[in-house]
Amino acid sequence: MTDDEADIGVESEGWLTRRDLIKLGASAAIASSLIGLDASSLLAAQAKAPLFFTKEEFALVDELTELIVPTDEHSSGAKAALVADYIDFRLSESFEDQPKIMWREGLKLIEQLSQEMHGKRFLESSQEQRIALLTRISQNEMKPEKPEELFFKELKSRTARAYYSSKIGIHDEMEYKGNTYQKKEFVGFDAT
Amino acid sequence: MNLIRLITATRDEVDLLKTYDAIVVGSGAAGGMAAHVLTSRGMKVLMLEAGKKLDIDKELKSTEWPYDHKRRGEMPPDSHALSLNEYTIRQPPYAADTKYKHVQSYVQGWSGSDYSKNIVVDERDHPYTGTNYAWVRARVLGGKTNIWGRLALRLSDLDFKAKTHDGYGEDWPISYKDIAPYYDRVDLYLGISGVKENLPHLPDSIFQRPIKLTAAELRLRRSLKKMNRVVTPYRAGVTTDGLKHNQYRSKCFGRGACNRRAGGCDIHAAFDSPTGLIMPAMDTGNLTLRTNSIAYEVTVDKKTGKAGGVAFIDSDSGKTYEAKAKVVVIAASTLESARLLLLSKSSAHPNGIGNSSGHVGHNFCEHIMGPHVTALVKDQVGKAHTLDDGKPGHFYLARFRNLNERHPNFIRGYGFEGGAGSSMFPGNTMSTPGFGASYKKTVRDYSGAFIEMGAFGEVLARYENYVDIDPAMKDKWGVPVLQFHYKFGDNEKKMAEDMADTAQEMFNEAGFEIVSVGRRILTEGWSIHELGTARMGTSPKASVLNQFQQSHDVKNLFVVDGSSHVSASCQNPTWTIMALAWRSCDYLADQFKKGNL
Repeated sequence: MTDDEADIGVESEGWLTRRDLIKLGASAAIASSLIGLDASSLLAAQAKAPLFFTKEEFALVDELTELIVPTDEHSSGAKAALVADYIDFRLSESFEDQPKIMWREGLKLIEQLSQEMHGKRFLESSQEQRIALLTRISQNEMKPEKPEELFFKELKSRTARAYYSSKIGIHDEMEYKGNTYQKKEFVGFDAT
Repeated sequence: MNLIRLITATRDEVDLLKTYDAIVVGSGAAGGMAAHVLTSRGMKVLMLEAGKKLDIDKELKSTEWPYDHKRRGEMPPDSHALSLNEYTIRQPPYAADTKYKHVQSYVQGWSGSDYSKNIVVDERDHPYTGTNYAWVRARVLGGKTNIWGRLALRLSDLDFKAKTHDGYGEDWPISYKDIAPYYDRVDLYLGISGVKENLPHLPDSIFQRPIKLTAAELRLRRSLKKMNRVVTPYRAGVTTDGLKHNQYRSKCFGRGACNRRAGGCDIHAAFDSPTGLIMPAMDTGNLTLRTNSIAYEVTVDKKTGKAGGVAFIDSDSGKTYEAKAKVVVIAASTLESARLLLLSKSSAHPNGIGNSSGHVGHNFCEHIMGPHVTALVKDQVGKAHTLDDGKPGHFYLARFRNLNERHPNFIRGYGFEGGAGSSMFPGNTMSTPGFGASYKKTVRDYSGAFIEMGAFGEVLARYENYVDIDPAMKDKWGVPVLQFHYKFGDNEKKMAEDMADTAQEMFNEAGFEIVSVGRRILTEGWSIHELGTARMGTSPKASVLNQFQQSHDVKNLFVVDGSSHVSASCQNPTWTIMALAWRSCDYLADQFKKGNL
């Protein structure tokens, strides 16, 4: 086979599917760009009740994940990437009880701390107060000991895993170039 | 145009009344090569594979994005991958008393594990006992070649004649010149990518188009040149220019994310035994394949004392069968081959077939891993991300210890595998402290700016490191299981200290800012490079096989996988396994035609 034939052969299988997907998603994408959400989050906005969290817990998790990976000038953040939805789904089917207990207790701790620090519920506190709370529980991040410190690590770990494996995380934030057939040379430098 | 043919998933009807010229047990690198060579020499071959014939492309789904998978590529919640702590704290069998429906080896803990869950075995069905060992097994057509790491290196006379060099152990019964023509054949038949370096201790292959280095990797290469050490682009068992003679494989398109499927490659640019060896062997019309066939005994012809065939269990029905052949070729992987030999007891072979020396299961060796270093490459911080993982591997740092000088603390050597640059999932999400906009920007700016490498070192072959048959425990099919008696020794531990020291020293030399140095040795078995257990040699008293991997005791019995290796060297073994199997099967076919078997 010649190189050209090989290129066409593989490309016709991989790329057409991708192009079709882009076409299908285009109208939703235009609509969503007007309000700063991506297509899938528009659909999810009309979606069902959470699977594991209560509605109140879900709203809290949604906000906590956005505080960890916020929308900035470079790309959308955890809310748009539906990070809380993914955490909710994985916890709902967790084989062990331990992660479920940890999250339920962890969210309670957040509320307790919020009362203690600011005298109000977390979602009723200001942005500065929310950041102050997260700053406090992330102090010992590399060697967490207190329950709220351990919860921060779990929260951040699941948030990062969900965000950076999402469409927004991979394409918009990290601008990953792979997982598509390269027609040219390998990227990089000759071993000289 | 569909360039890649799929493996059909039908079960073959196999004629068990017929006596085949040869039975090959196992379908990985060694079994596939045996099938290729013997069928191309006109022999009628029956291949028995214990695992299933999967449509590997449908398993791997290589281009599926994480977000298109329900669990972002992870396994269902009732499946569990063993962790390093479990391997360390607990004793085998590791799946005993588990609540999980499926328990698998640590490779299933890598990302994209849902795609290889049917390729590696369920530890619940495949227990073993004894000392701690992370034993990774793939019971499926093609075995571990479906998900291997692809680093394809040659051994040299520094390895084959290691005893002559430093006085320890045994020399191999072959020299580099004996195997070199077969390395060439493997290179040309299967394809390998790399750069010529003219190192006597790491001989060059016949390379196809090399992969490229990232800026940091090139800097390391140039910096180490001054220390007389060599960083070379990953020598990958991957065809980068294509193979005109093989219609089942495509050349590498640098798509990237190659490591997401525990190494799988859906276009088969990376070598795997099914598309590289077995399907071409099928096309000769000389190969019959029976999958789901668990060999549990090499049978003996009472009149001649020679091997008569192979008894096996159908893994679905549990029924037992016997297939007959004039020659039996075992290629079930180092530890499974030893198990099969030891299980094959008869009045003629009371210690197991081919085991009059008592060496079967012994001299078990492999590569020690663990020590590694990670560093920050400051001038790469904030650079736009490039497709740094759009290639089959990054770099290999060749052995530099005990070449001409002698290290005061240990013998033999080690090499490093490593890489730098960005990947699909940033590696610094948890090592970057904090949260919020600055956290997000730091992850983005730094994720492509790290370089890391980890060492693979030679574990000395020692008689006292061995496997035997557990007197009580059996697997799901009633076959007695292996018991491990295996530990790293003093030489390995001292070598591991040096690995961490030199790794740090070399990154400092290159001007990288060291972030962390790992000194912990990973559990025995972690390298998935188990070797020895049926070593070759000139003396029938101290070895199991001759230089053609032929049993000293039973002339129509061959063991053509890594169990035949006399020492582990520090180079990844797959290319040597295939070159040796080619050489031995060439000899086998010659002797068969002369009526000498």
